[in-house]
Amino acid sequence: MGLWSRLKRTFRSSRYSADIEEELQFHLDMDVADGRDRREARMRLGSMARIEEETRAMGIIEWLHSALQDARYGVRQLRKTPALMLAVVLSLTIGVGANTAIFSLLDAAILKPLPVKNPDSLLIVEWTNQEFPEGVSNINGDFSRISGGWVQASSVGANLYRKLAREQTVFAALMGIADPNPVAIAIDASPAEQVSLQYVSGNFFQGLGALPVIGRPFLDAEDRVGQEPVVIVSHRFWMGRLGGARDVSDRTIRINNVPARIVGVAPPEFFGLRAGQWTDVYTPLAMRVAFEPSQGIGAVRGEDDTDWWVRQVGRLKPGVPEADAKAEIARLFRNLAAKDMNIEAKKIPELISLPGRRGFDALNTKDASALWILMLLVGVLLLIVCANVANLLLSRSVARLRESAVRLALGATRARLFRQHLIESGVLALVGGGAGLAFGYILAKSIHLLLQSGRDASSAFDLRLDMRVLGYTGALSILTALLFGVAPAVQAARAELNDALKAQTRSVMGGRLRLPRFLVSMQIALCLTALVAAGLLGRSLENLKWIDIGFDRENLAYVSVDPGHAGYSAERMWPYVDRVRQELARLPGVIRVSPVEVRLLSGNGNLSRISIPGRASLIEKGVVAPTEAANVNSVGDGFFETMRIPLLAGRAIELRDIHPNAEAVVVDELFARRFFPNQNPLGRRFGFNPKENTRYEIVGIVRDTLYNSLHRDLIPTVYEAYLPDLRGSIHFAIRTTADSARLAQAVRTAVASVDPAVPVTEFHTQTGLIDRLLRTERLLAFVSGAFGLVALALVAIGIGGLLAYAVARRTNEIGVRMALGATSSDVIRMVLRDSLRIAGAGILIGLPCAYATGKILENALFRLKPLDPWTAALSFFALLAVALLATWLPAQRAARIDPITALREE
Amino acid sequence: MNNFPLLAVSVESHSIDVYTRYLYIMLKADNLQGALQLLVLKILRRRANHGFAISSYIQQTSDEVLRVEAGSLYPALHRMTEAGLLKAQWRMSEAGRRARFYELTAKGRRKLEADEKRWRTVSAAVARILRTA
Repeated sequence: MGLWSRLKRTFRSSRYSADIEEELQFHLDMDVADGRDRREARMRLGSMARIEEETRAMGIIEWLHSALQDARYGVRQLRKTPALMLAVVLSLTIGVGANTAIFSLLDAAILKPLPVKNPDSLLIVEWTNQEFPEGVSNINGDFSRISGGWVQASSVGANLYRKLAREQTVFAALMGIADPNPVAIAIDASPAEQVSLQYVSGNFFQGLGALPVIGRPFLDAEDRVGQEPVVIVSHRFWMGRLGGARDVSDRTIRINNVPARIVGVAPPEFFGLRAGQWTDVYTPLAMRVAFEPSQGIGAVRGEDDTDWWVRQVGRLKPGVPEADAKAEIARLFRNLAAKDMNIEAKKIPELISLPGRRGFDALNTKDASALWILMLLVGVLLLIVCANVANLLLSRSVARLRESAVRLALGATRARLFRQHLIESGVLALVGGGAGLAFGYILAKSIHLLLQSGRDASSAFDLRLDMRVLGYTGALSILTALLFGVAPAVQAARAELNDALKAQTRSVMGGRLRLPRFLVSMQIALCLTALVAAGLLGRSLENLKWIDIGFDRENLAYVSVDPGHAGYSAERMWPYVDRVRQELARLPGVIRVSPVEVRLLSGNGNLSRISIPGRASLIEKGVVAPTEAANVNSVGDGFFETMRIPLLAGRAIELRDIHPNAEAVVVDELFARRFFPNQNPLGRRFGFNPKENTRYEIVGIVRDTLYNSLHRDLIPTVYEAYLPDLRGSIHFAIRTTADSARLAQAVRTAVASVDPAVPVTEFHTQTGLIDRLLRTERLLAFVSGAFGLVALALVAIGIGGLLAYAVARRTNEIGVRMALGATSSDVIRMVLRDSLRIAGAGILIGLPCAYATGKILENALFRLKPLDPWTAALSFFALLAVALLATWLPAQRAARIDPITALREE
Repeated sequence: MNNFPLLAVSVESHSIDVYTRYLYIMLKADNLQGALQLLVLKILRRRANHGFAISSYIQQTSDEVLRVEAGSLYPALHRMTEAGLLKAQWRMSEAGRRARFYELTAKGRRKLEADEKRWRTVSAAVARILRTA
């Protein structure tokens, strides 16, 4: 009887219990009629209520009771074979642990909803437009090209947002939030520290339903320029930097040297709207004017309508259909923008609303797909573990066949035996799952370190072992128990009565060990898949690492400073850059220094359209084709020598070019080939937009280099004369005689000697920058490689164990063969053939699986086909070698069988 | 739960030593139910009857050696009904009172046949061992 029907009956209608009652009453009355004293009869019947209860709940009580009995019995049985059980639990720990680790990362980064009230009703509001919208000078936040030349972006101007939030009627609240900003924060008299601050709208905390645990949310009135700066601090910040003091409200801290009053503390689990980023301090949008005063360049920061920097998140009003809300908010935005921006209607961006339950994307697509790939690989690993454990338990259930048969003979049902074995598997899965949870937690922390390497301290995923991870691991353990437990349980329940009485365990199971062989072959197939995946990812990383980047990456470093934030104006900037350059060049071991706008292969860059007089730009679907654009970098004199980029024709950027109206530019070969095919490009002119298409004159040609990505196809590059960026960082490329990493301290000292108020913001070697670009690839290659090795080890155990068992069972047969003249090398050959047959079958099954995996990985691979012959061959030989190695011990044992002893045993 | 002294003794004193103490515990648990079920099936083979009649029949026929408590019998009857071995029906008893009568189903009949055969094999085997060992 199934557990379900038992449960159903336990909670069945009162009619049923009236039936039982009447039946028992009848029994009692009959007893009395039989001449027994009523009291005695009553006592003999026992408590009627109890019997009734038992009859009703009989199913459940009995089931639980016997299940407990089975479990106790199972544990005792398991303890009889400690080595086997250790192997099983260890395998499960690895399998479940790896899955728990990857799942908890995936969950924290991609799956988990935001820790706010009712996250399902949140919508993220973004916009699309045919091109960079007119009347907008700057967009902070996401900005990406989507299909058809359209762009999609996340942010709008602060005032536009406020109007929209005020006039809209479809959302319970439309909240605004900017991307986090690093700010300097000082508490009391302690020195300033850098923390992460987010500007949010006045309705942010109420709208999300994440009300401060201390103090109050912001007021709408506080989101106005000129108001007293107020902040809400994160729970983490409150605990860590403010000592968790209850009386924190109304305390004053200094942000970028501006006093600000604390009005609240955010809830403990609230990290902002992007998983993996922990915001320390929140303040109203209008406070940007106070905390980041402009340097006299352009309008007031933040309130300028051409500066778009506020992301929008709406909470749907209950009862308003999502589609209506989307249409209505888009319509309203069109109307408001038409009034505000004064541009023709069809050029107004179109608002789109996206699901917001998980907040803003925590990972870029590359990192996200890396996690999914790892999830796939750990799934494969778990299957290998299951096959291994199933085999170990199968050999054990064969040894226990006699026990099964005797129990059957004495009246146990087959279902009961089946369940007994399944419960034993359950006990194992429980122990393995528990250990796996602990192991997985540690593993997740380590992989998290790899994933976050090179990112700043405020980024970390919330990897607590919450109910989601516990539930996942629990469900996975049960599933695992079923996967590896069913085969041995079926085996046990199929025991035949006669076999038990004959006590011939050897003849009980089909002599061919068909199921175990199949399981080992499956293991090999899965292992091949894992190895091919690891091989492809590893080789892809190597390809990326040793790709020709077009310049000398060794002994090259970049130092970055930010004089703009320290208050330097345009006039003071020039002399400052020159002085720093001189100080750096004077350092021992430094060969050459040049300022540069975009550090090569740092991941950042500028792309600009190229227009040339007399040449029509290629137009695709109404927009300028991507091939009409070039990377732009602005470099100082001596840049090409510093980078060791060969000059092929003309001249480099020289000191005389370094002024704001310089016309001289250097281009690379690809630029010359693409825009001036079959012509001499030297002396030709072009510009970055059609109105100024004779702005620049080509004076030199250099070799092609990679610019900001190792993956992308080569894009032409234009080098213009250096102009310091007044708002961002100033970078210097430094060529050194030896390992440039050792220069870090000397460089900091040199920079500080020019002006101690301007600190070094970054120092990277070129190889360090490249490593940072390859973070995801390295993580994938490393983790998949580790899993591949584990899979290989499991396969070695699987195949070795199976063969050892097969040899032990065939001792008699081998003895006979040897007695009849077979030599020990014949016997070894026999075992070897057996092993190769199993491995061969596995590889045959594995080839299509491996190919499919390769196909899945295709997008993550660099200059590598999914059917890479090297990877395939390497995986094949690795598997073969391991199979042969694992065969060695059983083969030796078979060859040492003494025919006399073997036959006498019979 | 010592309703079946005969059975308990016969198992406890067996001399085959392959079973551990734990295996024995399991046997006992499997078996008590198996034996009670066998008896009920056998008694109901000829005609339908109610619980009280079954329990008195077991007691009388075994010369008071076997005694079935209501607390074991009724849950067993219900379980067997659920499993499709028995069919239950309210009828008039000889005493002219409504009583719940149980009768064998076709499945129950087949089960009786199989279990009886097995019981005979095993008890013969046990008896042989008791005689010779």
